[in-house]
Amino acid sequence: MKQEEQFARLVREHKSTIYTVCYMFSQDEEEVNDLFQETLINMWKGINSFREESKISTWIYRVALNTCLLQERKKKKEVKKVPLTMDVNFFEDNDANSQQVRMLHQRIGRLGLVDRALVMMWLEGMSYDEIGAVMGLSAQNVGVKLFRIKEQLKKN
Amino acid sequence: MEEMNFEELRNQYAILKDQLNKQEIVNDCLIRETMRFRKKEINTTKKTAYIAVAAVLLIYPYLYINHIWSLAFIIVTCLMMLFCLVATLYIHRPVDRLNFMRDDFSTVARVMAKFKKQYDNWLHYVAPALIIPWLSWACYEYAFKNSIEGVSPLLLIIPLIVGAVIGGFAGYRLHCKAVNAAQDIIDEIENVEMGE
Repeated sequence: MKQEEQFARLVREHKSTIYTVCYMFSQDEEEVNDLFQETLINMWKGINSFREESKISTWIYRVALNTCLLQERKKKKEVKKVPLTMDVNFFEDNDANSQQVRMLHQRIGRLGLVDRALVMMWLEGMSYDEIGAVMGLSAQNVGVKLFRIKEQLKKN
Repeated sequence: MEEMNFEELRNQYAILKDQLNKQEIVNDCLIRETMRFRKKEINTTKKTAYIAVAAVLLIYPYLYINHIWSLAFIIVTCLMMLFCLVATLYIHRPVDRLNFMRDDFSTVARVMAKFKKQYDNWLHYVAPALIIPWLSWACYEYAFKNSIEGVSPLLLIIPLIVGAVIGGFAGYRLHCKAVNAAQDIIDEIENVEMGE
């Protein structure tokens, strides 16, 4: 399979994971759009560096989180902005589902950047080892940090 | 109550995923635009440093020929610019080595935070230590050695001072923006290290 086709398939398969990470690190729809596009560009640039030894979802999380963490929010002239194809706007819609999603965004948004990333991967159902591999922490440390985050979330 | 809290969080997350799975999100145009990026982007700061050094190395000998500044000043200026270029490359080196796609979150953030801190030190300590004596020397050479009869040397150095202030202010603003943006990351990394 050609690399282009492989990449397109990969993006379509994991679009909701990429969107979720970008959404949790954004304040509005435009920012989500920018981060999403930036993440895809970084995935495309690094597709050759992906090693089969780790799961593709772990790799995607790593690229998406690194992009969200380090994005300097500067508009790159050479990037033509392409809007995402979305029927919903979680920041503005008022239906019951969007309100629930917004509540989730607010609760997770109160956490720091690292804690936010940890809790997202925990909600995604990733193991402590997988979370540790993305974050550069030991599985034990992930457990300790998640315990503290849960305590913090209880207070909020 | 506690379990309900997390159950609610999980349910909200499930709603988000469910909603997203119903969306197209990515379209062909977006994927095509993404795949235009193949070549490695050259860092803007490094590009600016290369251009500045090239400009100085080309312009200063011309100024010497026109007897505006002394040979000693021109040599020192060229050496200073080369030193700045080497320092810029040195500060960028860990970032260039970073594999954005393979390195974990903490490593990437730690390297970036260190990079920003070094840049901060460069701005607050090294840059003034270089620029203040250099600018004083430039003013002296320009105004007093090339004095025009009937014109106060102080008037001659005004354009130099104004240019330096505008340039310095613009550079400082740009730099502060980048360093402030990194402050959150630095705090986060300190928290991670404390938790280890």
